[in-house]
Amino acid sequence: MIGKKEKQPLPPKPKDQMPHVKLNMTYKEWMHRHEGRHTWRNRRWAFVIFINLLFVVSFTFDLAVLEGSLNGSRLIGFYLMDPYVSLELATISLRTHYWHNVTMNMIIGIITILTFYFLMGGRTFCSWVCPYHFIAEWAEKLHKYLVKKRKIKEHHFNRGLRYVFWVGFLILALVTKRLIFQEINPVGIVSRALIYGPGLILLWILALITFEIVYSQRFWCRYVCPIGTTWSIVGKLSPVTIKFEYEKCGHCRKCQDVCLVPHVLWFVVKGRATQAQHYVGSDCIKCGYCVDICPGDALNFSIKGLSKIV
Amino acid sequence: MADPRDKLNRREFLKQSAWVAGGLVVSAVGLPFLIESHAIEPKVGELLRPPGSIEEDEFIYACIKCGLCVQICPVHAIKLADVDEGLGYATPYINAREQACDFSCDSIQCAETCPTAALNFKIFRNASTKKAEELQPLVEKGELDPMESWRLQIHAMKEATRIGVAKVNDQTCLAYQGKGFKGTPRGKDFKGVLRYEKISERKPQPVREQYFDREICDLCVIHCPIGETAIKMVEKELPDGRKTKVPEVERGCTGCGTCEMICPTEPASIVVLPQKTYEEVYS
Repeated sequence: MIGKKEKQPLPPKPKDQMPHVKLNMTYKEWMHRHEGRHTWRNRRWAFVIFINLLFVVSFTFDLAVLEGSLNGSRLIGFYLMDPYVSLELATISLRTHYWHNVTMNMIIGIITILTFYFLMGGRTFCSWVCPYHFIAEWAEKLHKYLVKKRKIKEHHFNRGLRYVFWVGFLILALVTKRLIFQEINPVGIVSRALIYGPGLILLWILALITFEIVYSQRFWCRYVCPIGTTWSIVGKLSPVTIKFEYEKCGHCRKCQDVCLVPHVLWFVVKGRATQAQHYVGSDCIKCGYCVDICPGDALNFSIKGLSKIV
Repeated sequence: MADPRDKLNRREFLKQSAWVAGGLVVSAVGLPFLIESHAIEPKVGELLRPPGSIEEDEFIYACIKCGLCVQICPVHAIKLADVDEGLGYATPYINAREQACDFSCDSIQCAETCPTAALNFKIFRNASTKKAEELQPLVEKGELDPMESWRLQIHAMKEATRIGVAKVNDQTCLAYQGKGFKGTPRGKDFKGVLRYEKISERKPQPVREQYFDREICDLCVIHCPIGETAIKMVEKELPDGRKTKVPEVERGCTGCGTCEMICPTEPASIVVLPQKTYEEVYS
């Protein structure tokens, strides 16, 4: 990592300090302790369905609760704007000077949503709101199953690619004077398809999902989606995060098996953690799978700095 | 890092980035070419945009495809375009024949709600303010009822709309043949609604429940939400010497499409030419 000093990892724990020994359990027993616990997953799925249903219901029954779509919406009269589409529009405005026409509502909407997701952890959006993520989560399960059965091979790309796409789509917008990314943006497409009815464009979503199932795990979310990248940047200094306590960890790596962005949990590997406490990076989508599965309860939702205040 | 397969290798990154950059460059060069040559946007430019829409070349990027205008329209006139509309995907349009905008909401809500001003509400606010200033002395003198002044302000907002212009097909128009119309225009299965203020001041009514008996068909004229500054019946002599009255589109036509929606002939004998001005069509 650039500009980061390599810290010395903590010394390995003596056997009597391992969490399973403290609980008088065998390692195997201990490891499977919380299998089947889905508290956070159930909360999250309920929330994703709730928020997207709220959009649908607001349109179908003409309620002024949550109107619009995930590109831009109005929550009981307060505007919420997707920051990346706003950024695209701002980029095109460099050439056309359109930006001074946009309404105050839009500016307020951008500030509101940036503040909200800064507080809530940036990519929290992905797992708690994004309808494409919800579909892709199921596709990912199928993909993992097929890989396990050796029906297909896994293909990885470099995660840094999403920054190339992030800049690339902005440049593309600037050159073509069109919101090119919005033509293929699965977040907006799925959101609108749910609310305003399906269209031919869903074939693109089908193609994308198929690609993710048979070729590369979570291709769009991991390597392309500039919306997720934006939230990742916004969430860099966010207070809401997942806290890791070294003392409670038994290095079983069950969390990494269930994690949707496993690289954020690098510190659970034996001999990697450098501090008694670690916070996950901003790529974490706060899905809570690791919190549910961790047999030692070493991973938990936490608010940075809260202990200092209280 | 943790997962050895999850590469953060510099050479890999540069190689894959080169592919991505290449793809983006091809799109950056190819897309403007396709747009310029009109190869991939067969219908953009022919879509009737909602009231307040700015010039199409700006509209196409200013619209962020959020759907708030679709949501707020009380008569559900606004639809989002699908991919077969070329690069206009998910931008709002009105199919006037199915359901036109008859300004049922009064306040041009679609434009008011648009966050990016792709539907520009300033046009309407200015029109309303101008009218208010004009009428203020009359209201102060007591010559004009404040409610009436308010109504005129709303009407001024509607009049400020310019999304297209209507054109009569004199070959098929019933009035041009000296014919009348008796019955329900568009039949009993038609789903469209329009505001009939005599029935309900606020609530739009289904067209299929209406009955008309006109000696000479003037449905487009009596349904026009703008009035005779937009369309009116004028005297005309038929080739066989009979005298009749025919609809004539005036400069005040906003292009809302209510006439196209109500026209009882199939296909409609009066259609809106989207994104055209009166001058472009009639001179």
